[in-house]
Amino acid sequence: MLVLGFFYLPIAMLFAQSFNAAKFGGQWTGFSLRWYDELWRREDIHQAAWNTLLIATISTTASVVLGVLAAWCIHRFRTRAQRIHYGLVYAPLVVPDILMGLSLLFLFINIGLSLSLTTIIIAHTTFCMSYVALVMLGRLQDFDESMIEAARDLGANWPTIIRRILLPLLGPGLAAGALLAFTLSIDDFVITFLVSGPGNTTLPVQIFSMMRRSSPQVINALSVIFMTVTFILVILSQRLTRPQS
Amino acid sequence: MKTRQWIESVLSLPSFGWLVLFFAVPTVLVFALSFKSAEYGGTLGTGWTLEAWRHLANPAYPPIIWRTVWLSLACTALCLLFGVPVAYWIARLDPRWRHRVLLLVILPFWTNFLIRIFAWRTLLHPDGHLKNLLVHFGWAEPNTQLLYNNGAILLVLFYTYLPFAILPIYAAAEKFDFTLLDAARDLGATKWEAFRKVFLPGVRIGMLTAVLIVFIPALGSYAIPAVVGGPSSEMIGSKIVQRATLDRNIPHAAALGAFLTLVIFIPLGIAAFLRWRDRRVTRRSHGLTPGVTP
Amino acid sequence: MGAFIELQNITKRFGDATVVDDISLTLNKGEVFSLLGPSGSGKTTLLRILAGFIAPDAGRVLVNGEDITAMPPNQRPVNTVFQNYALFPHLTIRENIGFGLSVAKTPIDRVAEKVDEMLELVQMQEHAHKRPAQISGGQKQRVAIARALINKPQLLLLDEPLAALDLKLRQRLLIELEKIHAEVGGTFLYVTHDQGEAMSLGDRIAVMHEGGFCQIGQPAEVYEAPQTRFVAEFVGDTNLIDATCVEVENERNLGLSTTELGHIEHDLDSSRRAGGVFLANKAINLQPGDKAVLSLRPERLALRREPPPFAEEQNTVRGVIEDLSYQGSQTYYHVRVGERLLAVSKQHRRFLPHYTPISMHEDVWLSWFSNDGHLIITSRDQS
Repeated sequence: MLVLGFFYLPIAMLFAQSFNAAKFGGQWTGFSLRWYDELWRREDIHQAAWNTLLIATISTTASVVLGVLAAWCIHRFRTRAQRIHYGLVYAPLVVPDILMGLSLLFLFINIGLSLSLTTIIIAHTTFCMSYVALVMLGRLQDFDESMIEAARDLGANWPTIIRRILLPLLGPGLAAGALLAFTLSIDDFVITFLVSGPGNTTLPVQIFSMMRRSSPQVINALSVIFMTVTFILVILSQRLTRPQS
Repeated sequence: MKTRQWIESVLSLPSFGWLVLFFAVPTVLVFALSFKSAEYGGTLGTGWTLEAWRHLANPAYPPIIWRTVWLSLACTALCLLFGVPVAYWIARLDPRWRHRVLLLVILPFWTNFLIRIFAWRTLLHPDGHLKNLLVHFGWAEPNTQLLYNNGAILLVLFYTYLPFAILPIYAAAEKFDFTLLDAARDLGATKWEAFRKVFLPGVRIGMLTAVLIVFIPALGSYAIPAVVGGPSSEMIGSKIVQRATLDRNIPHAAALGAFLTLVIFIPLGIAAFLRWRDRRVTRRSHGLTPGVTP
Repeated sequence: MGAFIELQNITKRFGDATVVDDISLTLNKGEVFSLLGPSGSGKTTLLRILAGFIAPDAGRVLVNGEDITAMPPNQRPVNTVFQNYALFPHLTIRENIGFGLSVAKTPIDRVAEKVDEMLELVQMQEHAHKRPAQISGGQKQRVAIARALINKPQLLLLDEPLAALDLKLRQRLLIELEKIHAEVGGTFLYVTHDQGEAMSLGDRIAVMHEGGFCQIGQPAEVYEAPQTRFVAEFVGDTNLIDATCVEVENERNLGLSTTELGHIEHDLDSSRRAGGVFLANKAINLQPGDKAVLSLRPERLALRREPPPFAEEQNTVRGVIEDLSYQGSQTYYHVRVGERLLAVSKQHRRFLPHYTPISMHEDVWLSWFSNDGHLIITSRDQS
């Protein structure tokens, strides 16, 4: 219980502060929505939010396609090449963000790709696909292969099997993987920070620079909105991952 | 058989190629670039040199490396110290409550981690509520500095990684057969002995995962020292970013990155060895060590 | 419904291992055929070749004379009842049973009608709207059978369908399966490692071992007259005794000697003869010097405290009870005879007044008639 309190204390604090009228957090000077209002008028934040969503959408789509293919191959063909494939999928999860960001930055510099939204999308796709692949791999391991055989035996062809057996049974896992990828993309800071070019900030990068400069109270308000969106996504994915009864 | 191989290649190519190009190649690149020399203005010199690696011995670095390692170790130790009892507690809860409590544990770590760091900075701020409270009760002097030091970094590291430590230990504890504790008590063990000699070995793999999951990213921390640390509490991550983005000294950044990679491979190697030995022991004792999943 | 199925010289290798070795088999129309063998004997591979999940390296599969060897499983007139049921967890019982018809684009009302028939056949009407997770193992098995039968397959494959169920349920489902077969007809291939299931269900049995058939025949034939040592041991319990033919006693009996049972006596021509020779029925043609194995089922041995009365063509040995287990309807003994421990089962009939059951360490007499054992020839005398 104490631990849970420890978890929530800072967040509750932030929540309360976002409605505090005072310019600095020291004391409570009354309830106010002025920080939300100010947030509303900040064009740079809007742009960063838009970038974040755009990047998350594209890299989620790409990473779902790549991740599902990877999981399917690793699960289906148990060859030596697939063991290397699995190692490649797993490794990005073990390597700290900062090293991944650094190595991608060097790659982009070396091949002469200027830092832009594209480089961020490539970076996000790389780490998101690993998560999607692992989620799907877990689902595939629980998946009973004889379902496919039974369907074939009863006369179903591959399109029918995909539509009537694979999608209904693996769909929730797919959605959970996609949501995970989306949330990770929205949340990522270190990698984005390293591979983003000037003028191409995402929300976390924007928050970071705001933290170092000024306007802490606006961050509070932004954080509350950001948090609410993430919570909704998480609860959605929890719903999807819950085993069917 | 031939068509199967062909299908395998075609289906594997996209993800395999992507990961080789955007993960394997860049990682090798970091090592390669660390042997280059730096020219003024962020460009690379021709030829190979150990200059960047020799630079790691520069008196500025050892304290930073040492700080990074001990903060990460201390954070890992704290996470285990708190993570194990919490995981035990959750695993023993009524199943109906278990999932809700688990969700409560997971939720905060889904908030953006910068926001969490920022929340702590607000709390620990010289004008913040925590400081005011401590001073009010006489537990702190008005000029005590809560922020911008190693303590603040450790606290926030611990806060950030505790849920990551709880989850794998809980996953192991959930599979643990709690009647084993009763059996141990029945055979004369005290509660504490039963916990230490039966439960802890039972969740050993979960603890090992927790150690890796906390220690490795902690070593690579950048944002936490940047926000709650002071100028005298830099970590390797801070230096990497500084060299790569501000100084534009690519070989130095690469050498630091390569060094960090090596630091990480050492505990990974140890973990792999432990796991290998563990599996061998399990195989030899033919399932006589219950609760240990390889 | 049901077809004439032919397997011609089917061979399948996985790497270096030949899992199915040049097998030919003909299933008659409407027959229940049991494929009996231990795990690893190749029976599941053979079944998967028939279902179309594995292509054989050599050989052909014919249904009513039509070659289906290259036909994919979804086009074959063959359906399978899977060992782990393989019911679709996201579909109800109704939808599971109707799956085969609905993928064949059958009109909905027609599907409903057929599903109702099948639900009735396997008596699952009241569970129609449940999902597989909500019903018991035995019920799942019934649904799996109904699902496989709805397409009216020319051949129904049953892959150890009862293996996951407990004994009582297994016995009940066996009887139900027989009823279902009587009702719908059709050719069934029943794969199992359980000789009881194989014998009670099969019109014929094939015993499979290391990729080939050891023996094909009616259940009684396989049990009473095993053609190989493996069949004798695998189908039921038996005592196997190595022996050598020493003489041809008369037109019905052979005399064989063995060193395993110590002192043996046999009764012939109104006299009891002492010595190391036992009599065996001349069902197979043996010449002196030929070697053979005698298979002697535990229930064919008579166990007594006293010497058995004289009877023509009877063999007698003496032994000591070394182990016994009381099993309700019978008692199972291990009797030390010479170098061997012989398994003997004794049915409990009505006990005579003052009868005390034979107990541990008692000296006993064992006897059997020459036609109680079955000889399997192992090698001809070369000299």
